[in-house]
Amino acid sequence: MPENHASDIRIGVFICHCGSNIAGYLDMEALADFAETRPHVVFVQRNLYTCSESGINEIKKGIQEQDLNRVVVASCTPRTHEPLFRSSCAEAGLNPYLFEMVNIRDQCSWVHMQEKTDATEKARELIGMGIAKAALLQPQEIILSEVQTRALVIGGGIAGLTASLSLARRGYEVVVVEKDQALGGMLNHLYKLGPQMQAAKELAAETVQKVNAHPKITVFTRAHVTQVKGFIGKFEVTVETQSGAKKIDIGIIIVATGAQPLVPEGLYGYDGKRTVTQFQLETMLAKGLDAAVRHVVMIQCVGSRNDERPFCAKICCQTAVKNAILIRRQYPETKVSILYRDMQMYGVENEAMFRDSKAAGVRYINYDPADPPQVKADKVGVYHPLLGRKMELAADLVVLSTPLLAREDAHETSQLLRVPVNENGFFLEGHVKLKPLDFATDGIFLCGSARFPANIREAVAQGLGAAARASIPLSKGSVEVEPIISVLADEDACRGCGLCVALCPYGALEVRQTEKGRKVHVINVACKGCGICAATCYQHALSINSFTDRQIEAQIDAFLTVHP
Amino acid sequence: MSKEVLVIGGGIAGMQASLDLADMGIRVHLVEKLPSIGGKMAQLDKTFPTNDCAI
Amino acid sequence: MLDVGRHPNIDLLAYSEVQHIEGQAGNFKVTVRKKARYVDEDKCTGCGLCSEKCPTTVVDAFNEGLGMRRAVYAYFAQGIPSTRTIDPDHCRQLNGKKCGICQKVCQAGAIDYTQQDRLIELQVGAVIAAVGYDVFDPAQIAEYRYREIENVVTAIEFERLLSASGPTSGHVYRPSDLNAKAEIQVLEKQAAKSGRMLARFEKKYGRTSADFFMQYQAAPTDDADQEKWARVYQEDLARKERLAALNDAVKDAATAKRLAFIQCVGSRDFRFYPFCSGYCCMHSIKEAIIANEHEPQTVSTIFGMDIRAVGKGFEEYKIRGGNKSGITYVRGRVAEIIEGPGRNPVVVYEDTRTRSVKQEAFDLVILATACAPTRGIAELAATLNVALDDYGFIKTVPSAPVDTSMRGIFVCGCAGAPMDVPESVAQASSAAERAAEIIFQSDPVKEKAVA
Repeated sequence: MPENHASDIRIGVFICHCGSNIAGYLDMEALADFAETRPHVVFVQRNLYTCSESGINEIKKGIQEQDLNRVVVASCTPRTHEPLFRSSCAEAGLNPYLFEMVNIRDQCSWVHMQEKTDATEKARELIGMGIAKAALLQPQEIILSEVQTRALVIGGGIAGLTASLSLARRGYEVVVVEKDQALGGMLNHLYKLGPQMQAAKELAAETVQKVNAHPKITVFTRAHVTQVKGFIGKFEVTVETQSGAKKIDIGIIIVATGAQPLVPEGLYGYDGKRTVTQFQLETMLAKGLDAAVRHVVMIQCVGSRNDERPFCAKICCQTAVKNAILIRRQYPETKVSILYRDMQMYGVENEAMFRDSKAAGVRYINYDPADPPQVKADKVGVYHPLLGRKMELAADLVVLSTPLLAREDAHETSQLLRVPVNENGFFLEGHVKLKPLDFATDGIFLCGSARFPANIREAVAQGLGAAARASIPLSKGSVEVEPIISVLADEDACRGCGLCVALCPYGALEVRQTEKGRKVHVINVACKGCGICAATCYQHALSINSFTDRQIEAQIDAFLTVHP
Repeated sequence: MSKEVLVIGGGIAGMQASLDLADMGIRVHLVEKLPSIGGKMAQLDKTFPTNDCAI
Repeated sequence: MLDVGRHPNIDLLAYSEVQHIEGQAGNFKVTVRKKARYVDEDKCTGCGLCSEKCPTTVVDAFNEGLGMRRAVYAYFAQGIPSTRTIDPDHCRQLNGKKCGICQKVCQAGAIDYTQQDRLIELQVGAVIAAVGYDVFDPAQIAEYRYREIENVVTAIEFERLLSASGPTSGHVYRPSDLNAKAEIQVLEKQAAKSGRMLARFEKKYGRTSADFFMQYQAAPTDDADQEKWARVYQEDLARKERLAALNDAVKDAATAKRLAFIQCVGSRDFRFYPFCSGYCCMHSIKEAIIANEHEPQTVSTIFGMDIRAVGKGFEEYKIRGGNKSGITYVRGRVAEIIEGPGRNPVVVYEDTRTRSVKQEAFDLVILATACAPTRGIAELAATLNVALDDYGFIKTVPSAPVDTSMRGIFVCGCAGAPMDVPESVAQASSAAERAAEIIFQSDPVKEKAVA
C-alpha cells in the first residue's frame, strides 16, 4: 500500500457556500482563513456550489495543478454528495478514498441559523477534525469477487419452485434441495386454494412438471443441506442426497423452507377426529365429508395471539372462510359457524371471499379471548355479544384454526447459513419493510412461509421477488464491495477468542488456524464496515480501515487544539 | 427487440422495481407525473412496524 | 430514493406522463410527455434561493393543503430530482404579470420561462405499472362532516401534522386553531395598516378617531376624506372585535391530546369500496403510537369492525401500542360525527360489545380513508391495453400475481390492490423479475446460451 510520508501530504480544502444555504449563516472567510492555518493544507478555495460543474472542475484542477493528494470538501451531507465528490477525485487521478467530507450545512448553518458566531465556531471545529483525519487516510481499492452463476434453492414448495423456475428462465443453473419425497410442499396436502378454488394438487403438478422438465434445474429430493461454507458468489455447499453427499459450488442461496401447522394438543378437546385442525379438514374435504356432519363450528386463533404465541399467523382466517364456503357449496344441508376475534380478511380478494361466505350462509360470532368458546360432547358454548347471552351451537365437527409455525428445523438452517430468526422462529429479513426478501448477509435470500405465513398469491410473488434479488449478483458475474471494511490491523494482538465472530451480523469473520495460532480472518466481500468487531475487540486487533483508532484520535486532538 | 424497461410511477414500488432492474444491468426509464419521486411513502412521517423514517 | 436518482442505469423522467404506447412484449414503442418545469434540470443546483424570493404563495399539496409553498418550488424538501419547478398556474411571470424575480436571483441561470413540453420516444421490452393509489375523499360520507368540522382530518393529513418536516414541525395543533391563528395573522397585518391610516387622519385633523366618529355619526358630511376616515374606523372596530374573539378562542389552544381514529372510511362500505384496504388499521395504530411519543399524555380510541394487524410483527406492534401508548379499541362502526363545544368533534357510535349507543367528544378525529384506485388509471389501462378489476385496480390472478392481461406489461404495489410497504416492495421485485425474463428472452445471444 503506497503511504505518503507526513511531509508529502498535500491537502486541498474546498468550502461550499451552497448559494446562501451556508454562506448566509456562517462567516465563510473566517473558515477559509482557519483552514489555511491547519497542518498539511496547501490549498483552500471557496465555491458558490462545490457540486456544480464549475465547482467539480475546481477540485480536479486543484488535484492536478496543486498536486493535492488529499481532498476535503466542507459542504452538505455525504449521504447525497459523497459519491459525486469521490468520483470527481477519481477522475482527476486521486484515489477516491483519499477524500473526506465535512457537513457544515446540516450540522451548522441549518440547525444554528440564529447563532452565526457559534455556528461558525462549530464549523471550524468540524473542518479542523476533517483535515486531521484526511491527513491519515489511506488509499483503498474496490473489492471485486467473482460470482458462481449457480443458485441453491432450499425447499421445493410453491415459493421455492417459482423462484427456481424464474432463475432457470433467466438462464441460470438452479439446484433444488427438498427434504420430502416429492416436490410441491404444502400444496400436496391442501384441497382447494382461495379465492378461485383452484385445485392445489393441479397447481403443484403443473409447477413440478415445469421444474422437472427444465434442463437448467437439478432436483434433489429426500435430501438436505449439511454444510455451507464461504460467502456470496463462492459458497461451498454440501448436500446429503439419496446417492450420498455432494459438494456443490453455489453463487447465491434462496431459503424457501416453508412452515408447519400447529398441532393443538390439549386445546378445545382436540382429538384429530371430531375436533380437527383446518389442515386436517383439507384432507377430509378432499376425500368427502362424512354425511353425518350437519353442524360445523370453526374456532379462530387457536394457539395464536396469546401469551405463548403473540403473533397473528395471517392466513388462518382466509383458510377458514374458504373451507366454510366449500362446505356450504358442496353440502348445502351442513351449517357452518365461525367463532372469531377479528376476521383478518385484508385486501380485495379476501374481503370479497368474506362477503361471499356470508351470502353462502356462514354464520359469524365474535368471541372475547377472556371468555373463549367451550367445546362439549356435541355442542360448542359461546357468548354472543350482539344477543348479549350465552348460547350453545350444535357441533358434529369442530375445526380449530391453528397458526402456521416456523419449522422445527428452522433453527438448524439458521445456524447452517448464519442467518437470524425472529422471536417466533421465522427467518428474519434484512429490513422488515425495505428488504423483505433479503437477509442482512449478502447472497442469501428468502421467500414464502419460511419468512412468515403466506397465501398462494404472496408465496408466488415472493418467489419471483427473491429470484429478482438473487439474480442481481448472478447477472453481474461479480460483486463489487465498498472497501471501507474491517481489517486485522494487529495480527499479533489477536488471540482468536472469536467474540467478534459471534457478534458479526454479516457472517464476515471467521477464526482460522495460522502459523501464529488461532487468528481472526475478515471475509472482505462479506464485510459491511459496521465496526461492531472493532468496537468489541478488547485487544484492538481489528479496526475499520477508514475509521482507525489513529484517525479518530487525530480528530479528537484536532477538536481540542482548534481552541488555542 | 428492446432491452430496456419502462416503469410508470415513482413511489416505493416503482422505485424498488427500477432499482432491481437497473442492478441487473437493464436500462430503466422511470416516469413520474409529479415533480419528484417518492410517492405516498415520502409523505409518511414514520412507517410501521419499525417506526423508522420513511425514505 | 437517492439511489434511484443516482443510478447510471436509471433514466429518471419526473414531471412526465406516458402518452401513448404500441407494440408487444419485447418491443413496445412509448411516447412520454415531459412537462415544462421552466427550470433547466442540468443547471439547477437545487439551492432554493428562487423559492425563498418568490412573491407568490400557493397551497402546498405535499402537506395536504395544511401549509403553503411558493410558485417556484420543490415538491418536497428532500425530493429527487432536487430541480425546482415553476407552477404555471400561479407564477406571475408566466401569467403575464411583471415579476421575473426568480430569474434574477438564480445564480446558476437555470430559470427558463420559454421552456416547452417535450415528447420523448422510447423503445422498451417490458412495462411495469406502479402507479399507486389515491386517498379516498371522505367528503363523500356526509355523516362524517369532513370539511364541515375543521377538527376532522384524514390519516394522511394527520401524518403531515405529526411530521417533523411538516407544517407544524410535528406538534399536533388542531386545524381550527391553526386556521384561527392564520386568520389572526392576516387581521393583525390589516389592523396595522388601518392603524397607520387612522393615525394620519388624527394628525391631519388634530383629534382622535373616536371623537371624530361620534360627531360624524351625528352629522355626516360628504367630504370624501371624512367619509373614508369613518369607513376605515368602522372596519377597524369590527376587525378588533373579530381579533378579540379569535384571540380568546386560541388563548388556551393546546395540542390535540384526545384522538379518535375511525377505521374503514370508504372501505368495507357498500356505498363506496366494498374491499378492505389492508393497511389502514396498522396506519392508525402507528399514528396513535407516534402521537403518544410526541406528547405522552395523548390517548387514542380506535373505532373499528375488525382490527386487522395482519403481517409480520404487526400483532405484536398492536399489543405494544395498546399497552404503552394509551390506545383503546372500540368494536363498532361510527354512525356520525357532530361538532360540540370548543370545536370538539363528537363521535356517535354503537359499542357492539356492550350493545349501547354512546357519544364521546375528542380534540381531533382522524379518518382512516380507503385506498382508492388512482385517478387516471382507466385512461392508463386503456393506453396500456390492460384489464381492470371490478373496482378499478389492474387485474391479476393469484398464481401470476404481477402479470396483467397484456403480455410484457406487469403491475406491482397498490396499482394492483391495496397493500402495505413490505408487500409492495416484495411485489416490485416480482415485477422486476417478470420484466427481466422478457428482456433476457429477447436476447438472442442469451437464448443460444440457454439452449
